[in-house]
Amino acid sequence: MNKINLLLLLALTSCLTLSAHARDKRDYHDMVYDSGCKTCHDQGAKRFPSDQACLQCHDMSELAEQTKREGHDAKQNPHDSMHYGQEAPCMECHGEHTPKQAICMDCHNFDYPKFKH
Amino acid sequence: MQTRRSFLKLGAGAAAAGALVPFATHASPSDIKWDEEHEIIIVGSGFAGLAAAVEAGKLGAKDVVVFEKLGVYGGNSTLNAGQACFANTDLQKKLGIEDSAELMVQDQLKSGRGYASEVLLRHSAELGPYIYQLTKDCGCIYRDHIINTGGTSATRSHQVVERSGSGFIRPMLKTARSYGVKTKIRHKFEGLITAKDGSVLGIKVRRGYHFGHEDSGELINVRALRGVLIATGGFGANVSFRQALDPNLGPEVGCTNARGATGDGLIAMLAEGAMPVHLSFIQSGPWASPDEGGFGYGAGFSLYNFPHSIAIDRSTGQRFMNETADRKTRADLEVQRRDKDGKPNPALLIAPKHEAQKDPSLENVLRYKVAWEFDSVEAIAKHFEVPLKPLKKQIEDWNTYVKAGEDPQFGKRMNMSTGIYLTPPFIVQRLWPKVHYCQGGIQINTKAEVIAAKTGKKIPGLYAAGEVSGGIHGVSRLGGCSTPECMAFGVTAARSMMKA
Ligand SMILES: Cc1cc2nc3c(=O)[nH]c(=O)nc-3n(C[C@H](O)[C@H](O)[C@H](O)COP(=O)(O)OP(=O)(O)OC[C@H]3O[C@@H](n4cnc5c(N)ncnc54)[C@H](O)[C@@H]3O)c2cc1C
Repeated sequence: MNKINLLLLLALTSCLTLSAHARDKRDYHDMVYDSGCKTCHDQGAKRFPSDQACLQCHDMSELAEQTKREGHDAKQNPHDSMHYGQEAPCMECHGEHTPKQAICMDCHNFDYPKFKH
Repeated sequence: MQTRRSFLKLGAGAAAAGALVPFATHASPSDIKWDEEHEIIIVGSGFAGLAAAVEAGKLGAKDVVVFEKLGVYGGNSTLNAGQACFANTDLQKKLGIEDSAELMVQDQLKSGRGYASEVLLRHSAELGPYIYQLTKDCGCIYRDHIINTGGTSATRSHQVVERSGSGFIRPMLKTARSYGVKTKIRHKFEGLITAKDGSVLGIKVRRGYHFGHEDSGELINVRALRGVLIATGGFGANVSFRQALDPNLGPEVGCTNARGATGDGLIAMLAEGAMPVHLSFIQSGPWASPDEGGFGYGAGFSLYNFPHSIAIDRSTGQRFMNETADRKTRADLEVQRRDKDGKPNPALLIAPKHEAQKDPSLENVLRYKVAWEFDSVEAIAKHFEVPLKPLKKQIEDWNTYVKAGEDPQFGKRMNMSTGIYLTPPFIVQRLWPKVHYCQGGIQINTKAEVIAAKTGKKIPGLYAAGEVSGGIHGVSRLGGCSTPECMAFGVTAARSMMKA
């Protein structure tokens, strides 16, 4: 039991230190990294962050406002879409450590020029 | 230190819960450590699941939960084209369309080629006007236009203004919640918990599940007081499963389904001895485009234009099918369009712009490069390498059919193309079928009860509705006929559970 604990501890510590350096990350999230994995990984380092994690700093209705589209594209606002409204959790389209693409792209050839993979 | 300790604690908890619930659990209720308990459990948040949730709410259920494995609600239903066939509605009457539930059943029996279930079709057709009203009461708004979806003897496909199933899903989700229904994403159904006599007590759920990460989250046991409704949809997105059933449906054929259409509910019910029906009858959509993923915009464009347009084989420059035949007929013929090496050579749908522009999808298909505009037959022939002479002749011939109101080539119903001549400029979209709908599934009866293979009798406590159920449509389902059926059996399941 002690051995296992020790192993886990080692694994976790290395994850904590690694993350600040080697992992894929977004530059504008630098300060979040500075305050540690736990800032986003609110359910433990080995688990996905909760769907509320990103919303500690980001506000869905503000994002919806920022990505608002006009006229023909009005319903293609990824943060307020025709299919999912404002309910699609961030992690359906965005990954911090893994490249992802918007779920809309499963069926549509949309162009989201500002989307970061 | 705090994080590590709580992580370890959580990890141990998850492992213990896992140990209590091996895959198929047969137990007595008192043996099981229940983490949650609900009056009605609904698995899946598509048409079937949400119609059941709304109806249960209407009937006064106090504690209904909907579990959805993905991060978003609605499954295939929210991607759907928003078309629903109802017979005998006030809108049909207003537009002077004569129709009846009986006629709708007859059309569907024909397309089912002797394999459809007359009782289940009739049950759902008769509930049609009720469902039409229920959706309106939820706040769904229908267009004034009724669509002809192919294979029908009366025009009966009612469409919501969004022209997408989200026009049903979002108001229904809102209505369900207004009745106090709890809706939970990232909760994956993992299996049924049954008593020794086979009756269903509850389900195992993976809470905190992230799609594609099968070990994410933790397992919990959820007890159902009145029953469990499995409304998990089809398995079109599960390539190995569908190809095992129909070898023609490998990865070369695309798929219109949502990511979650992997057949989980079906597979779990089969594991508990439910009766499988027609699993190999898998339908491909003949209106799909290979130039975008999923259902996209092309499908809406071709659905609108098929009645007054022609589909051309690129190597011959000629028509090869009745463009409004039922889906199987068309998809089977389309997938045979090949070049001399046997590689897919998708057919061309050629539509007259003067008519195509009446539908909002034109703008989308042009903008997203799913269709292209051409000023002349020559330009089409050049761009797609189609032999010019036969193509020209085919278009001239077609226009004489429009004038005569009769199609001697393929016997197409011509009343939808009256006065609509195929003249330039043209809009052209490529056609290649995509796996779309699973006719097969587990067997249910007119109470939405699941039937056991061993006894032919119901499995107590277990209900199913929607695409996960099978045998209703037989060999081929008509367009616009899943929505009303999913909702009809969802409603039926709620009524049955409220009586249980
Ligand atoms: C793109 C497209 C367009 C269509 N257009 C039309 C149309 O216009 N008219 C028409 O009549 N029919 C149409 N169809 C068919 C029709 O939409 C579907 O048959 C119908 O939506 C199925 O509804 P459902 O409730 O059975 O399943 P779904 O809507 O697929 O819902 C099932 C839900 O269960 C979830 N689920 C699966 N497994 C689990 C699990 N283990 N745990 C928890 N949740 C789970 C899924 O993620 C999904 O959200 C279309 C289908 C597609 C794909």
